[in-house]
Amino acid sequence: MREQISRLMDGDLEGAEAEAAFRELKRVDGLEYWTCCHVIGDALRRNGAPIAGFAERFARRLEAEPTVLAPKPVHTAKLPLAWAVAATIAAVVVVGSVAVNMLDRPPTALVTVNEAGGVRGTRAPLRQVSPDYLLAHQEYSPTTQIQGVGPYLRAVSAGGVDGRP
Amino acid sequence: MTAVLCRASGPGKLWRRRAFLAAALFAAIPLASAEDATAWLSRVAAAAQQQNYVGVIVYQHGGRFETSRLVHLNDQGKEFEKLVNLEGPAREVIRMNGEVRCYYPDAKLIRVEPRTFRNAFPSLSPQQQAALTEFYTFRMAERGRVAGIETQAWVFEPKDGLRYGHKFWVDPESGLLIKARIFDEQNEGIEQFAFTEITIGAKIDRQMVSPTWPMVPPGWQVRQSGPKDESKETGWTVTRVPPGFVKIADGFRRLRDAGRVAHLVYSDGLVAISVFIEPVGSASHPFGISRQGGINVVIRQQDDNLVTVLGEAPVATIKQIAHSVARR
Repeated sequence: MREQISRLMDGDLEGAEAEAAFRELKRVDGLEYWTCCHVIGDALRRNGAPIAGFAERFARRLEAEPTVLAPKPVHTAKLPLAWAVAATIAAVVVVGSVAVNMLDRPPTALVTVNEAGGVRGTRAPLRQVSPDYLLAHQEYSPTTQIQGVGPYLRAVSAGGVDGRP
Repeated sequence: MTAVLCRASGPGKLWRRRAFLAAALFAAIPLASAEDATAWLSRVAAAAQQQNYVGVIVYQHGGRFETSRLVHLNDQGKEFEKLVNLEGPAREVIRMNGEVRCYYPDAKLIRVEPRTFRNAFPSLSPQQQAALTEFYTFRMAERGRVAGIETQAWVFEPKDGLRYGHKFWVDPESGLLIKARIFDEQNEGIEQFAFTEITIGAKIDRQMVSPTWPMVPPGWQVRQSGPKDESKETGWTVTRVPPGFVKIADGFRRLRDAGRVAHLVYSDGLVAISVFIEPVGSASHPFGISRQGGINVVIRQQDDNLVTVLGEAPVATIKQIAHSVARR
């Protein structure tokens, strides 16, 4: 199941295979895995990485917020503003609850993110093809013939910092 | 043609004559032909092989810059080339005696690619030459300074979405390529190689192009891909080859410790796409899509086989090939 979802995320599935993966996503554990992968992906790309303890702090501050008793609007013209305030509060509550749900429910996701953050170097090269393949390919490319060994930089820099297969 | 012009010379037909002249003039604009593109590639390839030069090259891809020093020597028809990166863990690429050696000192590893194809060039097949004009518009672009040289730019613009565009800046005097850029449909740069300084016709001795390390330093691992066996075909084929690509190689080779790997290569005259097929084995593989500079990679499992497709083409092209690998 997990491999199918991973491949779906990579855009590697078509037709019946993709349909099967979509069915997996309708199941709770499938959806959780999908969410988890995206959180990991975001963390690896360093966008929107969750902040430790954010959910607790957010919940505390939300708790401490005074209840806003909006005065009854005198002029109907003021109505849009009141609606805007209400909408904002509603939006904050929705976002907050989604955030709390996302961050509190599957602790595995967060643990995995923290692990992933610490092992960036190991997960990223996994996505790379072995430089052996790039080297084998390079000599056949007509552009290599006019560029000399320059394009071999693709192969030598491909192994990341360790040059491992 | 004269007859046509005479007949069209009546006063009422002046517009038609003008239109005809305009059309004739338009046709006379040097729209590069197959021979032009091929001749141009051969000229630049010959310069890259024959000239002696040393310079600093910047490789730019995915928001990253890597600076390297490149030395090239042609000594009595034999080519020697040395590329050393100037940042991060040392990497060295050496071309000598017809093979390419990549040194990874921190990993104590040497990768050797034996018997390179290079000497076979220029040898685009008639089909590849035809593909060049059918699927790219080859044209002369602007002149501009690169690495202190007044270069002439040339562009291969793709006519469909199945290939990238290529722009080359060439020193008109020596014919050497000074800068090369791959761009996508939105004209966004995918990858770029550019000299920031270069000395053409420099005095270079063998010392300057020999590897920093011995051929095989003690305790280092040597990974030799090959020997290639192109004598028999692999029995594999690609059923939906993107238009313009023709098969230029079909054979087995030895990669890593994977044993025999089937290797097919398709080319449209400007770029190549490699297809590797091997038994899946027990090792975990990075399935999916990835990119290394201008090269897109798709790895997928097909029954008990691992299919790896890569080349300097958009993902859609690579995927189309990866999803249509079949037994003949």
